[in-house]
This record gives sequence, structure tokens and C-alpha cells, in this order.
Amino acid sequence: MADAQFDSALDLLRRLNPRDTKKNLQSITSIVPDLTEDLLSSVDQPLEIRRCPQTSRDYLLCDYNRDGDSYRSPWSNEFDPPLEDGTVPSERVRKLEVAANESFDVYRELYYEGGVGSVYFWDLDDGFAGVILLKKGVTPGSQSSGEWDSIHVFEATDRARMSHYKLTSTVILHLANENKALGEMDLSGNMTRQVEADLPVESDASHIANVGRLVEDMELKMRNLLQEVYFGKAKDVVGELRSLAPLSETNRDRATQLEMIKSMQK
Amino acid sequence: MSSTIELASAFIEGAPPGELADVVADVQALTEGDDILSSLSPAFERYNESQLTTVKLPGSSQEVIVSEFNKLEGNRYFDPESQTSFEMDHTTQTASGAQSAPLESQNADLIKSLLKSLAVHAREHYTSCSYGVYPIENDSSVAILLVANRYSPNNYWNGRFRSIYQVPVSSSPTTVTGKIHIDVHYYEDGNVALNTNKPVSVSVPSVSAESIISRIATVERDYQEELNKAFVQMAEGAFKGLRRQLPITRQKVEWEKIGGYRLGQNIQGK
Repeated sequence: MADAQFDSALDLLRRLNPRDTKKNLQSITSIVPDLTEDLLSSVDQPLEIRRCPQTSRDYLLCDYNRDGDSYRSPWSNEFDPPLEDGTVPSERVRKLEVAANESFDVYRELYYEGGVGSVYFWDLDDGFAGVILLKKGVTPGSQSSGEWDSIHVFEATDRARMSHYKLTSTVILHLANENKALGEMDLSGNMTRQVEADLPVESDASHIANVGRLVEDMELKMRNLLQEVYFGKAKDVVGELRSLAPLSETNRDRATQLEMIKSMQK
Repeated sequence: MSSTIELASAFIEGAPPGELADVVADVQALTEGDDILSSLSPAFERYNESQLTTVKLPGSSQEVIVSEFNKLEGNRYFDPESQTSFEMDHTTQTASGAQSAPLESQNADLIKSLLKSLAVHAREHYTSCSYGVYPIENDSSVAILLVANRYSPNNYWNGRFRSIYQVPVSSSPTTVTGKIHIDVHYYEDGNVALNTNKPVSVSVPSVSAESIISRIATVERDYQEELNKAFVQMAEGAFKGLRRQLPITRQKVEWEKIGGYRLGQNIQGK
């Protein structure tokens, strides 16, 4: 029954307002405490920002850099609050993690022109895995705001001179607008996509470029998808609910058009 | 258990358009073993009244609205257009026990004309909708409601348009106050929701069905135009400001260069 409950919990979170995912997740785990660990590791929530005490740089919190109640900073590799035996990556994977953080910092500046990013890697038996996090908020007008959270989780499995990559990406996008003529408008949600690829690996540096390109292509695809759903689909559904043009005119135009087509076919 | 009921009630009341049954199934699975539905009837009632749930009258194909404005005692509601009252089962969203209920209001003529004008307005702008006009506040005002639902679960989207207006009718000129809500849910490989809340307050020169409905029609048209503009503004404003489609150089990242240079330093350098 536990599996069925887990599926129901995910279904419920996919239906209820995405703006309230955090609150709804708490409610579900308060009704069924046994689901807490599984849900926390599979439901993406807007990322929280914390400042690294050692480097004074901001980093992002997620389930992958959490150990108990502490979070590991990607800049210092230290846990906050401090942990004696917190889980850290192996020396080789930590070096990759440091390099990935530097590369994605450049990526973040190029695409986001601000915001906060963090990359966390961890060891696997036959390779390694990681998560690339990017977050940016904007307030273009006093009454309008936007927030973007990217969460890219990947696994890199070793093959001969190759690596098999599996990437699962979620973007959480909140947009809100409020003014007298418009009232309140909230357009919020999240979308998830997956991709797998076998790519050549010459050295560890190849991993950064391979993962970088996978994430870059995925974000481009998802940005287009979000644009289509948020500003195309949502607007179309509003048009399906209420027709701006009087329906009698629309129907008359359609009838005229049909007549024309018919007469041309004669 | 009381807290489970509170939490489950919030889930029911938060169900998106057309997905109440799915939310109920999930809630039942999460609270397995507990017969929770009967304890949730107040939540179903609040959902139905605030979402302007429509039900088919027994023996009729017409859908009528359930709201706080046409509520009688108990779970009975009335529909002035068909002059019928009915018993509502809030949990199953079904109507039964239809009875004749002549419209008893000193504004009965106005209400009937409002229904006629509203019908014309509704036909012109909503492919499928339900509406109602009800005497409220000791017959000193009328409530004018309209709800339009479009459900397309096979394509993973559902939507609802609601407008709720109140108009004092004992003296001219008067003011239409109320709210327009649009809720859209899209959930293919994700969960995206549009929720809007537009407060309305406009004056009407005279208490006549024609001027009230024509004012409402203008308000709704202006609002939809404003909302369409806001979609464009969001796409051009906040959305573009969050993440660029391409870097300012119009070139994708050269990962070997940015990674290679620094990676050399970090991996071999230390």
C-alpha cells in the first residue's frame, strides 16, 4: 500500500496549486509520516539560499547537499552547522565538483546575468552523480515579480572511453503581476524532462563539458517549452473559456469561409 | 484525526477545475482505512459554493449553479430561471428532490429581464456556461453569477472562468461590485497553474437589465484584453529577465575553453 500512497501523493502534488507545493508536501507528510524521506528526495521545491560562513558566498540548499540538519557549501566543502562526519565526495569527485562549480558559474553569468548557482557531486559504484542548481529572481516592476529555479540531476556511468549520462531536469517558474486594471495574476508551475546520452570521455575534464552541454541544451529546450505553455497554452485556454470576439460573428465568419471553400471546390 | 481532516479539507478546497474526483481519490488513498469523506462534507460544500459548481436538475439537461447566493435552508438551493429548488449532495455533486419554487421577489421582473439579457451576453462569449441571477440581502440587491468550464483531461488541461457580481437595485444610479476569477491548469509532465483575481467596481446609470448587463459585458471584455496584454508583458518582461535564450554573444558556451582552462589549474594545479 505504501507504493500506492506514494503515487497518490505525487498525483496530488501534480494537481494542487504549484505555488503551494511546500505547504502541501508538509500536509501530506503530516498525514502519512512514512512518505517523508521518499517525497523529499523526489519532489522539487523552490531552492533556498544560504551564505557560506567560510567564503561569504551564497549557495543553494537541496536534499543532495543535506546531511541531517546541516548543508554542505560547494565553496568550502564544509557543513553548516558544522558536522564532524558529514558525507563529502571522494577527493577525485570533489575536484570535479570544484571545476564544475567554476564552469557553471560562467554559464550562470552568461545566461542568467545574476542569480545564484551551486553544483553538488557524489560518488557512485560505477561512476558519479550530481546536481546542478540555478536560481534567479527578478522584480521588473514594483507589482510584478518572477522566480526561476533549475534543478538538473544526472548520473554518469563509466563505460570504455565513454560515459552514459542520464539527466532529469526540472524548472520551477513563478510569475506574478498585479495592478489596478489587471487585478492579481499568478502564473506558476514546474515542468520536468529527461534525456540520456552516451558521450566520449578522454579525461575528467570531458565530464564537465559533456554535462555542461547536456544541461545547456536541456535548458534551452525547457525555456522554449515554458514559453509555449505559460504564454501560449494558458492564454489559449482562457480564449477557450471566453471568446473575446462575439461568437455569432466568429460562427458567421466560419460559415462564410466554409461556403467559399465549397464554391471553390465546385 | 482532527488535523488530518483539516489538512484533507484544504486539499479538497484547493482542487483545480475539473479535477475534484482525482483529488478525492488521492486523499482517500492517503487516509486509507479512515472513512474520511463524511467528515469532509463542509469542505465539499465550501468548494461547491465558491467554485460555482453546476449540477443537472433531475429530469432536465440544464446545468444550474450552486452558490451561497441561491442557498435555502439545509442543503437546498433554488434556480430562478426554471423556478425550481433542489437538494444538493455536496460530496457527489448531484441534485435530487426537485420542487417547484416560484420566484418570490419584489424585483422578480428585473431578475427575469436580467436573465434574458445575460443569456444573450453569455451566448455571444461563452461556448458553454451556466449563469444565474438571485435576489439577495433582503431583496435589496441582486447577485449575478456566471461560470464557464472547459475540461480537456486527455490533453492535460482544464479551465474555469467565474464572475460574481452584486448590484443594489433599490435606487439609481447603482454600482456593480464583484470579482472575476480565471483558473487554468496544465499538467502534462509538470504542473502549471494560472490563477487570476480581478476585483470589479463600476457604476451603472440606471437600474435596468440592459444597462447592468451591458456594463458587465464591457468590464469582462476590458479585463480579457488586459489579461492578454499581461501575458505578453510577462513574456517580454519578467521571463526574459530571468534567463536569456542565448548569451549576449549569441553563441553557446564553449565548455572546453571555460572548463579546460580552469580545470587544468584545479585538477593538476593543487
